[in-house]
Amino acid sequence: MSTIDRTGNDDRRSFLEKLVAVVLYALGLCVPAIGGLIAFLNPLRQRSAAGEFFKVTTLDALPADGSPMKFSIVADRVDAWNRTPNQPIGAVFVRRVADKVEAFQVICPHAGCTINFEKTQSGGRFFCPCHRASFDLSGRRLEDPSQSPRDMDSLDWEIRNGTEVWVKYETFIMGSSHKKAQA
Amino acid sequence: MTQPSSNTALGARSPLARWLDQRTGLLTALADAANRPVAGGVSWLKVWPAAIAFMFCVQAITGFFLWVYYSPSAQTAWESVYFIQHHVAGGWFIRAVHHYSAHCLVALALVYVLQTILLGRYRQPRELVFWVAIGIALCAAAGMLTGDLLPWDANGYSATKTRTGFLTAVPLVGQHLLKLAIGGPGPALGSHSLTRFFALHVGVVAPAILLLLLLHVVLSRRSEQAEIDTIWRPEPYWPKQAVRNAVVCAAALVVVLMLACSHGVSGPERGVRLLSPADADPASAYAAARPEWFLLGVYEFSHWFSGALIPIFIVPGLAVCYLLAMPWIARLQFGHLFNVGLTGLSVLGVIVLSWITLAKDARDEQHQQAIAAEQQKAQRTRVLAEALGIPTAGALELLRHDPKTQGPLLFAQCASCHSHATAEGAGIVAAQPTAPNLYGFASRQWIRRLLDREIAEGKKVFPVAGPDYFGGTAFADGKMVQAVKDLWREAELDEELDELRADLDRIAAALSAEADLPAQRKLDAQQSKLIAQGRTAIVDRGCTNCHKFHDRGALGNAPDLTGYGSRRWTVEIINNPADGRFYGKRNDRMPAYAETMRQNQVEMLADWLRGDWYEPEQ
Repeated sequence: MSTIDRTGNDDRRSFLEKLVAVVLYALGLCVPAIGGLIAFLNPLRQRSAAGEFFKVTTLDALPADGSPMKFSIVADRVDAWNRTPNQPIGAVFVRRVADKVEAFQVICPHAGCTINFEKTQSGGRFFCPCHRASFDLSGRRLEDPSQSPRDMDSLDWEIRNGTEVWVKYETFIMGSSHKKAQA
Repeated sequence: MTQPSSNTALGARSPLARWLDQRTGLLTALADAANRPVAGGVSWLKVWPAAIAFMFCVQAITGFFLWVYYSPSAQTAWESVYFIQHHVAGGWFIRAVHHYSAHCLVALALVYVLQTILLGRYRQPRELVFWVAIGIALCAAAGMLTGDLLPWDANGYSATKTRTGFLTAVPLVGQHLLKLAIGGPGPALGSHSLTRFFALHVGVVAPAILLLLLLHVVLSRRSEQAEIDTIWRPEPYWPKQAVRNAVVCAAALVVVLMLACSHGVSGPERGVRLLSPADADPASAYAAARPEWFLLGVYEFSHWFSGALIPIFIVPGLAVCYLLAMPWIARLQFGHLFNVGLTGLSVLGVIVLSWITLAKDARDEQHQQAIAAEQQKAQRTRVLAEALGIPTAGALELLRHDPKTQGPLLFAQCASCHSHATAEGAGIVAAQPTAPNLYGFASRQWIRRLLDREIAEGKKVFPVAGPDYFGGTAFADGKMVQAVKDLWREAELDEELDELRADLDRIAAALSAEADLPAQRKLDAQQSKLIAQGRTAIVDRGCTNCHKFHDRGALGNAPDLTGYGSRRWTVEIINNPADGRFYGKRNDRMPAYAETMRQNQVEMLADWLRGDWYEPEQ
């Protein structure tokens, strides 16, 4: 009789012990794991710099035939714990169309490679050497289907003081068929 | 059948061995493992797990010693690998062995998985052993994909940037995945990309392979128990299987060593090539980056699709799921045959696709040019690093301030009008050459040809009025062209052509001496007399009627010849050609670059035009 009673008590007690042991181990491991995870996820809080206008060239320095030229965007480069002034942080293509210009981001919307310009007999084309996507002079995709999910990313521009070409330098979310500024 | 007895074996051992064994059981365990019968008998087909474990050990050992020197940050990663490659005794060797043994590990894991499928060794009760083998293959590949970035060179940077860029194709969370992978908002990779990849490489991938290898031992032993019991004449592991394993391990190592030493064992090219340091500037991106050999098939396959989601994530993901499901598919009728057939077709497809990529790239002139240009850049970085030392800001600074490297990039802005090309067309040819060809600008040859008269197809032509000088400009019919024509016409009338030629040689020497070009410094010093005569001839031949030259002539009609082509003169004309010292109001279309270029860029451009950059002594 007493043996059975004791066994029943033991079962209950041993279940409680098991539960406490498991919970304590789990909680104990959660503390460093969650702390670590929060630190690991820190990049999610980081935002890209907002778009800003840069003076890249003057109208008369652009070829009259509409060939694009590539210009570096020079600004402070922020990386991890460093801020380095006057670094080439990106580049843009600018081409002249009569008294206006067209400006494009050099970064391919597909996977972020750098698009090149190739002069050809019929004017030229933009070409991404990584996955061979190509675009016409106005940045439209030439292949169907193209590797690139969208046309080249055009950039806002302004003509200031008569001839200065200013381009709003922005980066866009890659891999999507919609052009959306990177946040 | 002799049953090896651990008791008798122990009995023969020394007291020390007995003491150790009683406390740890180590010797008994070793003896048991050695004497354990090999399931299905000793065979050359059973060497792969041992070879994989061996290659992993090679990786771990070389990896540790690389770790001793490696420093993961954007300013030190390439620099520390450069130091390993060129300045640590045997550094190039451990780096090369680490590199090629990684390739070898992937290859061995693939061979093992494929053989397992072919021989049906994935079927029950070996499902989990097969899964572990797939896990090892995937982790070996992950090791290469995370290790690739660590040298922080042009190829690793470009390849990783593309690969992480693919993450954005994942719906909803793509942008977040990218940020987590590269440790920042992007699009550029940086120090936190390196620290993440390094932590993954040594802290996750390497321990994962080790765990999977241990798991493989445990699971395969358990699954082989049934086979061992039914075998007719079991042979122990030691020494017959052990020697087969060792032979294959040694053969794999020999292959790795041959690859590691394929560029010789001395000189800067030995081992694995280190390209130029990674540059976050997209304008300097390496255009010829390609994935590792085992991913070339997926790479070519991705060209059939718009966007990366289907070819990079969904199809390879489904392929892995199918691999994992194989043991259960094999339970169906003809299931095993189906598995083998589909695997064979897939392997064939991957080989064909990889071959297509390689063939396309081999034919692609631009691809080959990009590779050649990068090799030159790498070579240049090494020259500068050896001569000047690497600054704290990193080796990239050496290239950023090197006229030889930056000149051609900066000249791209000039190249809408100016060429910089030899007579054979080698160099930068302008889109529409409408301004002087600046190759060899201000050199004796350049000035001499400007003043020369040539015979082309039986006709007398003046280069000054041709496309290499003022032919495409507003001065094509200007006073300078007229003055050169007059000089020659008068000399012809007076039959003094030889005198004119001699004078023009002197003028070219004197004017070119103003430039103080590095390539001509020696010659200028030797020929001071010729140069003095040239200075007189500049005045005598009427140049100073329009041009200012030291204390003769005046500004306002034509560019100043004082200090013509010198660093200061060249910087100033690029800054503002419409300045009174140069073309003034008559300036043709050349913009004032002081407005759009930074001063140090203008200076580098001038240095490049003048051939003024560091070259090692021959």
